[in-house]
Amino acid sequence: MTRPLARPVPPSVADTPRRGTLTLLPMLVLLLVATALVALGSGRYPLSAADVLRFFASAAGWPLLDPERYDLLYNLLVEIRLPRVLAAILVGAALAVSGAAFQGVFRNPLVSPNLLGVLSGAAFGAAAGMLFGGSWLLVQASAFGCGLIAVAVALMIARAFGQGSLVMLVLGGIISGALFAALLSVIKYVADPYNELPAIVIWLMGSLASVDIRDALWVSIPMGGAIVALCAAGRWLDALAMGDDEARSLGVPVTAVRYVVIGCATLLGALTVSLAGMIGWVGLIVPHVARLLCGPGHALLLPASALLGASFLLAADLLARALTDSEIPIGIVTELLGIPVFLLVLRRARKGWS
Amino acid sequence: MAAQRGALRASRLLFRRAQRKVLDGVDLTLAPGDILALLGANGAGKTTLLRCLLGLLRPHAGGISLDDVPLATLSRRALARRIAYVPQVHAAPFPYSVREVVGLGRLPHHGPFAAPSEADRAAVEAAIDQLGIGALAKRPYTELSGGERQLTLIARALAQGARLLIMDEPVSGLDFGHQMRLLERLERLAADGYGILKTTHHPDHALACASRVALLHEGRIEADGPPAEVLSPQAIRRLYRVDVEILRSPAGRGAFVPAGVD
Repeated sequence: MTRPLARPVPPSVADTPRRGTLTLLPMLVLLLVATALVALGSGRYPLSAADVLRFFASAAGWPLLDPERYDLLYNLLVEIRLPRVLAAILVGAALAVSGAAFQGVFRNPLVSPNLLGVLSGAAFGAAAGMLFGGSWLLVQASAFGCGLIAVAVALMIARAFGQGSLVMLVLGGIISGALFAALLSVIKYVADPYNELPAIVIWLMGSLASVDIRDALWVSIPMGGAIVALCAAGRWLDALAMGDDEARSLGVPVTAVRYVVIGCATLLGALTVSLAGMIGWVGLIVPHVARLLCGPGHALLLPASALLGASFLLAADLLARALTDSEIPIGIVTELLGIPVFLLVLRRARKGWS
Repeated sequence: MAAQRGALRASRLLFRRAQRKVLDGVDLTLAPGDILALLGANGAGKTTLLRCLLGLLRPHAGGISLDDVPLATLSRRALARRIAYVPQVHAAPFPYSVREVVGLGRLPHHGPFAAPSEADRAAVEAAIDQLGIGALAKRPYTELSGGERQLTLIARALAQGARLLIMDEPVSGLDFGHQMRLLERLERLAADGYGILKTTHHPDHALACASRVALLHEGRIEADGPPAEVLSPQAIRRLYRVDVEILRSPAGRGAFVPAGVD
């Protein structure tokens, strides 16, 4: 026996996937910061990234700007652009993590966060809130609440008919989603076609324009918590992807993990709708792109998805603002952008789906 | 029978499914160093027995103990460090590398929230070396052949650090060469002190590679003992309703040849 320290490390140990963590996540953070700087700088009154950085340095107590310009930039950046940028980061990260977690827990790379009906339920909730002439707060609360109710209905159907098996969960989600889609149609039908109906339809296309900084900050607490919780459960999700019996034999409390993951992912989905309406495709495609970058291991995939999703939605929002004079709903942009990206990813990712 | 260290022991297991007794008073012991082949017709209760032994199903009566400690009192993680499950070859939904799949075997050791330690990684590499799949370590599990996947799953079980391996039809889906090489591999593991319980549909394999054979028939263990004693043409007839003759090679190896079917 040689001394333990003298034993050579086999070359194969050196390039385990963990090596990738050290470089990939900081790169994605850089990408996000750069995108955020561009987003803060662009608008009707364009600012350079240097201007934006100078403002934040001043705000941090390092006076690089004269007071007058500081006040101008404060108004522009903090009051007008920051809420929107913050909302894009939160919603993008939340949708991407929620999608990646759903794909892991359902062992299916084609699953989106709406699998259990959360977005359908939230859409119905928001429309109902508007129909009853609700305040903005009521619309948000109703969207959030109905999103959770829709998933609860799906889980109850799954428990009642199949002891919560995966197939019954999917079926429960389809039934619940269809139910709330039908209820949404009822709301649209009875809504006043001149005022309420257009408002509902436009809202459902998604927008980050009307996000208030207080809303964004408040929502960031549960969102951040759920994202961190899901990232922490990454290694359990890897075991879960192998099958229930195998995961249990590897010491994973399968049922509890599944429900907690579904709970966190649902919370994320419902919060995004209440903040910004329906924004499709992010939860489906971002995890795929992340998987191409960092492999399928969830411990790295989930944080990478969060960072990538945030950058993606910031870029989509930039496009939504820049393409035309009056901005287009961001949900349309993500759909138009998402389909070609998905087709590209499909070519590369198809191999692993046998 | 004297209590053996590290043995998994089931006594008078009863398991019902919709009033039907799937297991009806099963006694079975798996000790380190054993290769126990479990034979039974389709529907005899083999899978149910396996799942009970792994703690995945709770029997309606009877007890299972590991080293004389009831299985039900052990946590899942503690159990996972003692007993490993090698499932039938399957497809994974995501293209994990072989090293990542084997690395999952360390989950019961480092827990879900900590990154694998140096010791965990060394255990993974040791398991990969032991199965001789170092060349595959970076390949995606989804692109491997059935035999290579089975070796990966066994390596994962070894990485778990468990001394008892429970295998569900380890040779199913493998070609003849891979079947024989796998059986040989199992014998070497048993010689290293691992206890192996495998279900099989091949009486020949039980004859060739097992230290004990148990016959499960209609939820009961009909016979349990050395292969040469248990595997008689009469026993095969009772189990599968097939008449067989046993042929002996000059080297003393046996094989069953069918002589008639009802």
